[in-house]
Amino acid sequence: MAKHVVTMIPGEGTGPEICEAVRMVIDASGVDIQWEYEEIGLDCLEKYGTLLPDKTVQSIAKNKVALKGPTTTPIGTGHKSANVTLRKVFDLYANVRPVRLIPALKRPWDKLDIINFRENTEDSYAAIEHMVSDEVAQCLKVITWPGSYRIADFALKWARDNGRKKVYCVHKANIMKMTDGLFLEAFRAAAKKYPDIETGDIIVDNCAMQLVRNPGQFDCLVLPNLYGDILTDLCAGLMGGLGFAPGANVGDNCAIFEAVHGSAPKYAGMKKVNPSAVLISGVMMLRWLNEKDAADRIERAMYQVLEEGKTVTYDVGGTAKTDEYAQAIIDKMRAARK
Amino acid sequence: MPTFTQEAIATKKKKDIKLVGVDVYIITDKGIPKFADGEYGPFKCEFISNRGTKVWPGFVSPDLLMVNWYRCRFMATRDVQDADVNAFMDTLTRKGWWWSAAQKLWNYDGEAGYSKAY
Repeated sequence: MAKHVVTMIPGEGTGPEICEAVRMVIDASGVDIQWEYEEIGLDCLEKYGTLLPDKTVQSIAKNKVALKGPTTTPIGTGHKSANVTLRKVFDLYANVRPVRLIPALKRPWDKLDIINFRENTEDSYAAIEHMVSDEVAQCLKVITWPGSYRIADFALKWARDNGRKKVYCVHKANIMKMTDGLFLEAFRAAAKKYPDIETGDIIVDNCAMQLVRNPGQFDCLVLPNLYGDILTDLCAGLMGGLGFAPGANVGDNCAIFEAVHGSAPKYAGMKKVNPSAVLISGVMMLRWLNEKDAADRIERAMYQVLEEGKTVTYDVGGTAKTDEYAQAIIDKMRAARK
Repeated sequence: MPTFTQEAIATKKKKDIKLVGVDVYIITDKGIPKFADGEYGPFKCEFISNRGTKVWPGFVSPDLLMVNWYRCRFMATRDVQDADVNAFMDTLTRKGWWWSAAQKLWNYDGEAGYSKAY
C-alpha cells in the first residue's frame, strides 16, 4: 500500500498536460504516492449534469488531500464555480498563497517573500445577492467572528511553525466599521495567543500601494476574501505572473493544492504552457504531507532549470514543451543525487 | 447636452416584476431550522444556507462552520401578493422564529433576481 493516497484532478484545458508533467516530477522524487484520478468542470456538466461529480467529492473526503489542475468557470450562465463549491463543501477556509522571488525571473525587487492567508468562505462570496429593484443589485458582505478568528489563528500558527516573524491583518475597518471591524477585532484576539509573532494591521488601499512600492517590508498577510482575491493576484504579478503562483485551500481536515491560473483552453493539447504553478503547489503539498526532503529537491531542481534557461517554456523565453521542462527538472534532481 | 447622470437615467428600462418568494434571515442557537410544509400558507422552504453554504436539504459536512444566522429561502407555491408576505412573516413570528430581516424575491422579465446558495 502506498504511503500517501492523493486525489489528482487534472482539470480542463491545459490542466491534464500540466498535471501529467507535475505527476512525472513528483513521482521521480521518490515519494510513494498512489494517485486517484478524478474529474471536475464543464466536461462533467455534459456527462453527469454537474460541474463537481459526487465521486470526486467522495475521493477527496476519503484521501483528505488533492492536487488540482485549472478549471474553467462559466461566466454568467448560472452555474456555480466548481472551485468555490469545493471550498464550501470541505470548508476550506484558508487560501494560502505564497509569493517569493524566483531567481530566473528578473524582477526589480531586492526581496519578495510573502505568505498571504486569504479567508476563503465568506465576505461578499457568500452568494447572497438580490436584485432589490429593477434598478438596484445588492450583495451581502458576511463577516463572522468564528470565520475571522480561525483564519487569523491559522495564519499565526502557520507563521510560527514556519519560522515567520510578522503577521499583518489587511482591512478597511475605517470605512466598513462593522464587517471589517469584526475581522480586525478577531485577528487581534487571536494574536494574543502568539506573543512571539509581531502583529499589526494595514488598510487595504495603503497595503496595495506599499506592496507595489516596497514588497520586501511584508512577511505574512491575513485578508478577508475579496481583498485577498485581489491582492494575492497583485502579489503574483510582483513575482512575475500567475505562471509561478501556487496555492493551497486548506480546512481543518482536508487540503486541496492548486495553481491559481486559468485553464488556457486555447493552448490545450499543445504542451506549450508552463506547469510551474501547479508544480510549486505540488511542492507545497509534499511539505503538507511531511515530505520535506522531496519538496526541497524538486524546488532546487526547478530553480536550476529556470536559471540555466535552456529548457524552459515560451513564457520565460524558451521553446521547451511542458513535458520537456518537467523532464529537465527530473534530470537535474537525478544529477544532484549522483 | 444631457449630463452623464441624465443620460444614465434615460437608459433605464422598466421590467416586468413578479413576486415569487422571500428570503428570511433567522437567528437561532438551536441548529438548522425546520419548517413543516403546509404551515406557512402559500410559501414552502426550498433551502437553508449558513454563511452562503447550503445546509438543508442534503449533506452537510460535520466540520462545516455554522453561525447562528440562517438564510431560509421560501418560494411561493401559487401566485402571491405583498399581503401574503405580511401574513407569512406574522406566522413566522407567531411560531417563535426570531428573524433579523426579510428580502422579497422577484423575477424580472421572467428571470430570477436572486442568487442560489452553494
